[in-house]
Amino acid sequence: MDAESAKLLAAGISMGVGSLGPAIGLGMLISKALESIARQPEVSGEIRTDMFIGIGVTEAVALYAFVIALILIFVA
Amino acid sequence: MKRRLLIGLYLVAGLVALAILAFLPGGARAQFDVLAEFELHPIIKLPSIGPVDLSINKAVIYLWITTAVLAVCAFIISRNIKPVPSRFQFVMETLYELARRSIVGAVMKSDQASWFPYIAGAFFFVLVSNLIGLVPLPFAENHQFGFYAATANLYATLALALCTFVFTHYAGIRKHGLVGYVNGWVPSSAPPVLRQLMLLIHAISEVFRLVSLSVRLFANMLAGHSILAVFFAMALIFQNYLAAVVLQAGSIIIYLFEIFIACIQAFIFAILSAVYIGGALDQEE
Repeated sequence: MDAESAKLLAAGISMGVGSLGPAIGLGMLISKALESIARQPEVSGEIRTDMFIGIGVTEAVALYAFVIALILIFVA
Repeated sequence: MKRRLLIGLYLVAGLVALAILAFLPGGARAQFDVLAEFELHPIIKLPSIGPVDLSINKAVIYLWITTAVLAVCAFIISRNIKPVPSRFQFVMETLYELARRSIVGAVMKSDQASWFPYIAGAFFFVLVSNLIGLVPLPFAENHQFGFYAATANLYATLALALCTFVFTHYAGIRKHGLVGYVNGWVPSSAPPVLRQLMLLIHAISEVFRLVSLSVRLFANMLAGHSILAVFFAMALIFQNYLAAVVLQAGSIIIYLFEIFIACIQAFIFAILSAVYIGGALDQEE
């Protein structure tokens, strides 16, 4: 395998594997938030705000993988 | 009964058209590079002062447009406030209330009034900048219409994140004093040996907040715009009219999703800024 194809493979794998964890995390986060909103609709505003903070923090992990994939393809 | 027949006829006609399109040969093969959309070429060349290049490029123009749109909106709305709001005033009031109640009010415990201007400013700036990125403007190569957002550029988002970073520590030091602020990073009950290690870890995490805040916004906008570009240009790659029709429908869905992402990212940027500044103001004992 030459260096160019190794780079492309690495970019694909980093994006695929790197989005696995955040996907699971986002699923858990949103399901729990919805569960608690269903249980206590009166605090849904606060829960939604916290949920969005959590989404932002969790999703960033997948985006790091995206940035690394871009660096692998276009810069390295 | 007649309407149903008509709908059925339309459906059959559409399917036949799609089937014909599927077997038509495509046009000339086009070269396509997604990331070329994000390269910055100087539009107006200016001399550079030392290592700082002052040339005006696409990102600078988008930042100017954002500032101009915000300034004009704020000017118009502040001249003409009515007790019964017009549509435009209603939109601005809703956004203002969102920033005041759901972002600053929900997150910061003290000193809300003095930090609201910065956080609302960041919210509006990122929101308008993200949304302008979804309007085709003639600043692509050779003055073609293209998508670009100032926030799809790491330098712009890093500057915004640096503002939050500096204001976080400024707020903490102003309230607690330098020694008190740094001491507040770790619980006072920790044993002295652990304390220094925890201080170090906290200092590193402060720097990584800067990285995550800027890279999150940048990568979100870059990823969204490159997905849009891929969908819009996929027809050229597949060389097939059927694929083109289906992909254009897909690109509309992605476009709508991008509007949602643009708003959410502005919200997240503002709320994380509020969390960081609020955390520096009210350190837990």
